[in-house]
Amino acid sequence: MDFLTSCYFVFTFIGLYYLSLFTLIYLHNFKHIYDWKKPKKEYELSIVIPCYNGADGIEKTIRQLSESDYPGLKKIIVVDDCSTDNSYEIMKECEKKYKKLLVVQTPKNTGNAAGAKNYGASFVETELIGFSDDDAYPNKDAISKMVGFFNNPKVGAVTSRVLVQNRNKFISKVQSIEYKLIAFTRKLFGFIDAIYVTNGPLSIYRNEIFKEIKGFDEKNLTEDIEITWNILSRGWKVHISMLATVYTTAPEKFKIWAKQRLRWNAGGIQTILKYKKEFLRKGMIGWFIFPYFVSAWILGIFGLGLLTYRITRYLLTQYLSTTYSIGAETAILRMNDIAFSPSVLFFFGITFLTLGILFNLNALAHSRKESEHFKKENVFDLIIYMFVYLLLYPIILIASLYKFARKDYSW
Amino acid sequence: MLKSQKHVFWEALLVTTLIFIVGIFLGNMLEKNRVEKIDEYYAQSEISLMDILIFQDIVKANETSCEILIKSNLEFADKIYNEALILSKYNNQQLTEGAELAQKRYSLLRTLLWMNVIKTQKTCEENFNSVIYLYQINPKDLTIKAEQKVFSKVLEDLKNEYANNIILIPIAVDESFISLNSLIENHEIEKLPAIIINDRIITEIPTKEELKKYMKN
Repeated sequence: MDFLTSCYFVFTFIGLYYLSLFTLIYLHNFKHIYDWKKPKKEYELSIVIPCYNGADGIEKTIRQLSESDYPGLKKIIVVDDCSTDNSYEIMKECEKKYKKLLVVQTPKNTGNAAGAKNYGASFVETELIGFSDDDAYPNKDAISKMVGFFNNPKVGAVTSRVLVQNRNKFISKVQSIEYKLIAFTRKLFGFIDAIYVTNGPLSIYRNEIFKEIKGFDEKNLTEDIEITWNILSRGWKVHISMLATVYTTAPEKFKIWAKQRLRWNAGGIQTILKYKKEFLRKGMIGWFIFPYFVSAWILGIFGLGLLTYRITRYLLTQYLSTTYSIGAETAILRMNDIAFSPSVLFFFGITFLTLGILFNLNALAHSRKESEHFKKENVFDLIIYMFVYLLLYPIILIASLYKFARKDYSW
Repeated sequence: MLKSQKHVFWEALLVTTLIFIVGIFLGNMLEKNRVEKIDEYYAQSEISLMDILIFQDIVKANETSCEILIKSNLEFADKIYNEALILSKYNNQQLTEGAELAQKRYSLLRTLLWMNVIKTQKTCEENFNSVIYLYQINPKDLTIKAEQKVFSKVLEDLKNEYANNIILIPIAVDESFISLNSLIENHEIEKLPAIIINDRIITEIPTKEELKKYMKN
């Protein structure tokens, strides 16, 4: 067996392992995916919303949160991070309308969401502290579907399901599929205590833990991933409520999308390096989340390299044989050239692909059943997501490594 | 919350291993089936060649029936050529060594046929066209790979035009074969792919018309 064949086998094995793992978790728990608990008591909660030039969405975010049906929501603190647009004026107008709203402004621009979040957190004294984004729109019942998870004293953080609000452009439609699948798999991760990120659009933490860990890491590009790893590494549990739906605005331009993904990945690398000592050491973070992250990245980059190598070789051979065929005055393509004789690797690939498609379709069907806002996905969008969009991931990852190596920690 | 579910990690490992074992087993079955098919062809070809070799000796002794001998060689070469086309489909990414071994045995069988053609040419002194195509199995060099594709196509054109009036023997060269390498050395062939057309050696990509110039009749 040559090197490439061995690589294919290793890839297929690891891929099939993760797929089997997700499928088994699903089969064991599919009745509990949309479970939620009524809070044993009325946990007092404050929500902090960092805002920098968010004039387009901040009013709607404030309105949505103010209309929350959770009675324990005491305060909504909007932190203006010295915006250069009219966000602050909009917030101040809102402050007159909504009683729970407190508008504050950072002394100077912090340069990242973590800075503004930490600044806003300094005004919070409630038992629970939540965070949202200036372009996130939680459902009325989102918070009340989350807080019950804190009945378990071991739970340190609860996150929500994020869906895409704007689905009018192709790129945002594809992201809409991605977000649904992310939420579904994240819930599956929750059943094995392996949720590795509490998202920015709506997540709630125990304030005592938040204070203990001194808030978000302002040097990290993905403070929401870092804080989750921090909480997990201290032995707390993290959950996601699938009934707590929050809508976000997905990038509608490729450039903005790529920038966002570069930041996410570079932040992921920062987090991995920060917690490298946890590798194979402590609980799920060391035994599963860390190896999962690292193996997914290695497979992604190596897989892209392998694919590029095979495609380049194929194209070069085709180019050369076409040139030679023209010179030799013979046919460029014959039936023999397209004769197909599948090997065992081909069948493995097809099995893996089929199982992957079935898993994704099931995840989407599951979301459709439970979400009133779910729109049926277009088959074409789904095909593009699976066969084009996912292939961009390793490219983004390589670019992120470059960004990280250059110490470019800009947003 | 739900009780610990750490057991799913082991279950997933078990399921994946099972899928893999079943996959490898089915893959081996598939390849075994192919190798069996090749072996069947090979057994028939071996019988036909033995028959020709014996007949060759009879012809040599009696100095008669050259016409039948050449006809047999032509028919056999035709069969070998068609089998080579089938065999070439099974070249890539095989897990077992069965297909590779079958390729090697075929190469030797074809070498034997080539030697027999040389003998027949001497015994019968009659005009017939022999074309030996020497190539590499799965070359790493892309230029050679592309060249071989085109060599095959040009020879297929030639074969289509001359039908059963040409002995075309494609031989995959293996460095371990003393007999084949000796023949290659005797013909002073320094690079592959190469065509030996009626004792003329061609190592650059030819056109069909160029090859026709070296054909008899």
